[in-house]
Amino acid sequence: MSKDKITINTGDAGKGESEIAKEANTEELEERALSVFSSERNEDITALVLSLITTFIVLIFTKWM
Amino acid sequence: MAQAQDNKPLFILSGLMIIYALIASSDVLHPLMKYLHTAKTADLQVSMGFICGGVGILGALINSVRKPGTTIIDRFVLQPLPGILLILVMAMAIRWYVEPVVKLISQNLQPVLGFKIYKVLNLNYVILGLLAGVLITNTYGIPKFAAAGVKCARFVLKMGVIMLGARYSFAELAKLGSYSVVLVGTFVLGTVFLVLWLGKIFKQPKTMTGVLSAGMGVCGVSATVAVAPVVKAKSEEMAYTIGTILSFGIICMFVFPTVGHMAGMNPVQFGAWAGTGILNSAQVAAAALAFNAVDIKTLKVAEIFNITRVLFLPIIVLVLATWFGKQSGQKLTFKEVVIDKFPIFILGFLLLFAMSSMGLFSPPTHYKGKFIDYSYNERTQVTEKEWEALNGAVQNNTLQGLKPEQLAAVKDLVAQRQLAGNYESRADKKLFNKQGQERMFQLESILAAAKGKVLTLDKSVKGAIHHAIKQVHKKSKTVTTLTDCMIWFFAFGLIGLGMQITKKAIFQAGGWPLVMGIISGITKATLSFFVVLWLVKDVVLK
Repeated sequence: MSKDKITINTGDAGKGESEIAKEANTEELEERALSVFSSERNEDITALVLSLITTFIVLIFTKWM
Repeated sequence: MAQAQDNKPLFILSGLMIIYALIASSDVLHPLMKYLHTAKTADLQVSMGFICGGVGILGALINSVRKPGTTIIDRFVLQPLPGILLILVMAMAIRWYVEPVVKLISQNLQPVLGFKIYKVLNLNYVILGLLAGVLITNTYGIPKFAAAGVKCARFVLKMGVIMLGARYSFAELAKLGSYSVVLVGTFVLGTVFLVLWLGKIFKQPKTMTGVLSAGMGVCGVSATVAVAPVVKAKSEEMAYTIGTILSFGIICMFVFPTVGHMAGMNPVQFGAWAGTGILNSAQVAAAALAFNAVDIKTLKVAEIFNITRVLFLPIIVLVLATWFGKQSGQKLTFKEVVIDKFPIFILGFLLLFAMSSMGLFSPPTHYKGKFIDYSYNERTQVTEKEWEALNGAVQNNTLQGLKPEQLAAVKDLVAQRQLAGNYESRADKKLFNKQGQERMFQLESILAAAKGKVLTLDKSVKGAIHHAIKQVHKKSKTVTTLTDCMIWFFAFGLIGLGMQITKKAIFQAGGWPLVMGIISGITKATLSFFVVLWLVKDVVLK
């Protein structure tokens, strides 16, 4: 095992153990593993855009039409 | 052939949705829907079944004829589609069948228990969705085909949080008495900081502390759900917080009225205390009614304090987003905290809150889309039959036991055929609304007194007064629709998050969140008790 790496338990899905960089942000890695988006920024922007589109459509049908 | 095999779950789920939509559209389910009080959603049930089922079949067909790739469509649509449909089927089952059945059972149990268990335990789609997710993960396990779809949960939950912003309005906060705003604001912020401090003392992860502080400080479940993605709380931390809040609330619901009576609190004081100290809206109302079911003031004041607390949510979201940004980095500048680390989706929440406050969705002074409109309108009037019943009661002097101001409100209702201010003051909207508000208060007091058996009212008179009050309560169609979207996003997100909670994760969280919740809850309840006794005398309403 390299000095800069640590071993983590990744469970059945990850087939036991994996090596990751010592300074890796494990919380961030864990969070990304639970999302379809590769970064939080992308996830947030997509959620924001889709919500605004939904709001606009709702406004059209309930108020402006 | 092998690919068609992989698509089996998607074909089955889509087929089930389409079959359900066909059955629902043929009116076979109408008696059942009527019994479950879901008949109003029949059209939605049919459309959702056809649309989701259709999309599923289309996705399955595309998957069958082409090789899986790494395009955006593959990653975000085709791969997660089976999981998305599975969660949607579960959300539909919960919204249209499980939740109504739970409501019916708790209504039937009310005579035995004395309260509605689904309200007290908050057994709505939020809790039921989370429980369903947890149950699946810890029994059968997440089906392999659904794994990618479950990963969409947090993203969809964020969309729900953005939609949540449309339900509140700054104008409503400004309308409330400055007294309740200052009092509640102090306790909300105080509790948030107390929990953050306790988290530091007990060395708890900041994700857990952040989400618990919002839950204990603001309004329980919705605050927890809104703040969880802000502080990147794990699913089990969110579930823990909701569990802590609800169990603490149940204890408060029974303890508050007893302590209130022992301390000799007046109705206004108790209302202020319950609205400040208890976290869940339904539990606040239950405690207020348990303390005094006859004097409407208790419930009114408790509701006002409760609304004030809920309206602090946008402020708390901002505070915690800044706190979390600052905590997760080291020696960050103001720009880094506020601009770089600030969760972008919260901007959407704040944007919708601003749009709502400006009156884009509904008159600005609304709360969760509901507002009161005393203006003259034919649809706001009582029916001819109701008017005759009221007029007869006034003419024949059968309204015995009413206070002079209550009788005056009934007489005005007869004269104007609707709840309103004085006709002459209709140009001065503020005065007109104030007069209408006063009349509504008196009419509500009559109904409360009749319910508490302090006075006897004819059934038709009671019905007419009830209808007159109901008629001035309006609902914004836009906010209602946005709320429906939010409910579906939350239902989807919470089932998915529930699926990420394993038994191991729950045990790992330990009992500290519960300890922190109890310490902060008791501190808040005790401090607010003394402050209310000291400061609140009789009038807190503007």
